[in-house]
Amino acid sequence: MPEFGDTLSILASGLRAQGQRLRHVSENISNADTPGYRRKTVAFSAMLEGGRETGEIRVGRVMLDRTDLRRVHDPSHPMSDEDGYFDASNVNLITEIADAREAQRSYEANLKMFEQTRRMSGALMDILKR
Amino acid sequence: MQMPAIMALAAGAAQHAAARQATTSANMVNADTPGYRPRDLTAFDPFGGAASARATRAGHLLGGHDRPWREVTEAGPLDPNGNGVDMETEILRATDAQRAHNRALTVYSSSLDILRASIGRGR
Repeated sequence: MPEFGDTLSILASGLRAQGQRLRHVSENISNADTPGYRRKTVAFSAMLEGGRETGEIRVGRVMLDRTDLRRVHDPSHPMSDEDGYFDASNVNLITEIADAREAQRSYEANLKMFEQTRRMSGALMDILKR
Repeated sequence: MQMPAIMALAAGAAQHAAARQATTSANMVNADTPGYRPRDLTAFDPFGGAASARATRAGHLLGGHDRPWREVTEAGPLDPNGNGVDMETEILRATDAQRAHNRALTVYSSSLDILRASIGRGR
């Protein structure tokens, strides 16, 4: 039977995963103006233990977005070619912000569940205290 | 000594609520996992109503567990990435689980009070 401790560790894995996702989003945003930077993405997958899903979540390895880099016309830029173009990053700020919002919402939902589970196990302990 | 029936019932209901909270947590954690289908537990049914399936031998239905409930994968609309978790449903389910847990604990502790009163200790 799953105990409250297991429930809390499942939720903690979700908090960690969303935190890591937010970290990659902020890396992308801070490198939005780095020439040649490709945005990083991570994929979530369910954690398996002996072929069964434990309910915990695992963050896959970092992958780079393969969409084409943005071509920017700026002849004065030191990296520009003979036509005056250079490759900027392929970061789209709108996508990053939407991603960050989604991560934040999921983080909050997990945190609320964490608090609720803690309250439930606290109520159980109150019976022991009597 | 055996636990009084009402307390065993309350303990079972509390276990069901705790297990349901765990299942809901797993759903919520996997709200952004591609291809994840949400799960839920069947209702707590300690007497095994005529319509419900019963494990007639160990290893049947639940694979060795003697719980009167089991986990079911929910069918429903999926996101484009194959994920079927709906946050609102999960919040509702978690609130349900919490209320069921509180209810079970209240029954348990008031039974405990009655038991104490009967041996003359009062509160």
